[in-house]
Amino acid sequence: MSTQVQEGEEGVIYMRGRVAEVLLGAGFFGIMATLFLGFHWAPSVSINAFESPAAQRIFYWHVPSAWAAFIAFGVLFVGSALWFFKRSAFGWRLHVAGTEAGLACGLMTVWSGCVWGAAEWGTPWDWTDVRLNTFGLLTLLALFLVLGRQSQPDGVETRDTFSTFGLYGFVLVPLTYMATRIWQIRHPGPVVAAGDSGGSLESSMALVLMIGALSFTLFIVGHMLISMRITQLEQRLEQVQNSLDGGI
Amino acid sequence: MNGRFDGSSQSGDIMAESLLRLEDIEVRRGKGVVLSQFNLEVHAGDVLVLHGENGSGKSTVIETCARLLSLENGRVFHHGKRVLDSEGRRTSPPEAFGLTLQKNGLVGDETVENHLKTVCFLSEKSFDLTEILASYGLDHRRHDRIAQLSGGQMRKVAVLAGLLPALLTNEPRLILLDEPATGLDEKALESLVNHIGQLSTAGHGFIVASHNSKILECATRIHNLKTEKSNVPNTHEPWKSTATQHSTSLLSARVGFRYLTSTQAAIARNGLTALLVLGTLMGFVDPSSIENRSLLVGFVLAAPFAAGLAGDPVLYIMREGRAVDWWRAQVQRLPSSDVHSLTIGFVFTAIGCIVFLDGVDWRITALGTLMHWVTMNCVRFIELSTLRLVRPNAVFLRLLLPILILPWALVTDFAAGL
Repeated sequence: MSTQVQEGEEGVIYMRGRVAEVLLGAGFFGIMATLFLGFHWAPSVSINAFESPAAQRIFYWHVPSAWAAFIAFGVLFVGSALWFFKRSAFGWRLHVAGTEAGLACGLMTVWSGCVWGAAEWGTPWDWTDVRLNTFGLLTLLALFLVLGRQSQPDGVETRDTFSTFGLYGFVLVPLTYMATRIWQIRHPGPVVAAGDSGGSLESSMALVLMIGALSFTLFIVGHMLISMRITQLEQRLEQVQNSLDGGI
Repeated sequence: MNGRFDGSSQSGDIMAESLLRLEDIEVRRGKGVVLSQFNLEVHAGDVLVLHGENGSGKSTVIETCARLLSLENGRVFHHGKRVLDSEGRRTSPPEAFGLTLQKNGLVGDETVENHLKTVCFLSEKSFDLTEILASYGLDHRRHDRIAQLSGGQMRKVAVLAGLLPALLTNEPRLILLDEPATGLDEKALESLVNHIGQLSTAGHGFIVASHNSKILECATRIHNLKTEKSNVPNTHEPWKSTATQHSTSLLSARVGFRYLTSTQAAIARNGLTALLVLGTLMGFVDPSSIENRSLLVGFVLAAPFAAGLAGDPVLYIMREGRAVDWWRAQVQRLPSSDVHSLTIGFVFTAIGCIVFLDGVDWRITALGTLMHWVTMNCVRFIELSTLRLVRPNAVFLRLLLPILILPWALVTDFAAGL
């Protein structure tokens, strides 16, 4: 189960081992367990406080996937900075992994949010809710970066341009995080990490959410490790092809 | 292509003015380092010809000198002033310089005369082009659109545009020519060689990337990308410029206005977008049945907002033949469509007011005009930030535009309260 780091002929480092797969698998089973506990074990919310109380259970998917998306966007930011300022190939692989994981988790969050919105608010999307919109923009940024990277040949121009978007786009992360502390339009204020006022979440609900957050974290870390490995193999393949072409 | 070479000045004339200096330049393109620890200096009177294999870095040197590439390391100086460095600083050159790119950098809808006059205005000069056009066999084509010319004729216009900054003045100027002889006929090539000789004798400095034997003959220094050697070219009479001073204000706005007037691109892109939105809303919405003023104002502002999302039509025009790169090298602010943008925003907001609000509200019209201009410039900024990509048209820029929807909604909300 150990991860080996091996130095290639041209100084390329690539990983072997099963750590990524183990994390991905553990995360997957954790997410399944979260869903099971969320649907069958966690208590129901007050029927007086919600238009559609049953739909509230989608939060055991929605909140952890949003948490994982923020981790992925953080990785995207760090990777972008490492490439842009240090010209680190490892940084670029982090950037790629962060965008792909950010897109996956962002879509999971947005989709589950739309389901909740349709059930509780009567509309799947509200253009006046700041958190909803900034998170949607983050997901679109991740989609832009994934599609954009696929449309361009790999090179310093591509990496510089998309790293710049990754760096500037990260502004949306603290904005999204702070949005409900400033504007509580549709999303409620903090219920888990509420600071002095304390959280309003029942302990069993909080436990399921914690299991969900941990599972999504494992899943997304595994996803990013595999993504980095694929990027590295793509680069290695291109190097081999170039050498077959008689180039570098 | 990964090529590495080092160059250093071997100019014997240490008293001549330094027109260009590259210090410790490192440039990456694609996956390779093309220039590494590259040094070069060009003085007044130098004709430095770069020649070597395809992909060895000749165009990279020219484009680095023209401030078109980002530097990993090093600095570029024009006339002793730092104009580009690896920290990202990019400032205007103290003097206009001539540039001919491998692709012509021309806008097809411009006339030959208008394009060359614009080059004159960039040097703040006025010049009778008749003789110079005749020497390249273009005098009968001066009023034709560039798109109507043959490939060779277009190349002549691009070469002339590169030479003009030196032809306009007796003060030393830097001229950068990338493969200028490609596509030129014998007569034009002879004129080019004569002009290079006359202008270098008059004290102008050249960097020319070329394999042409006639160009090599007029070099004072020949760089074969590994070593440099001196050469003694034929002597020419120095060029005496007859240009007169002519300063033009707001050149970028004027050029943008001219591009759009000749192509109608602003109407074709932004105007028609606004018209389609307005037409669609009129087809599906009966304003008399809606009492919500926010909704009605939203309909009014939808057309100018959508027109702004179509982007800057001047940038669209300048994507032709690397014209945008030619302009980026010459000026800090690219030609813009400010005049057309404000006009389209005003007209369509006013029409929207008449349709949905039963009369023109000047405050909402002003807001709509401003909204169109701001939206278009935001899109222009995003588009400009992807120009460095190998395939800038292939990225999904429109995915980022929803960022403008929330501000639009806030402006609409504000306008509804007016």
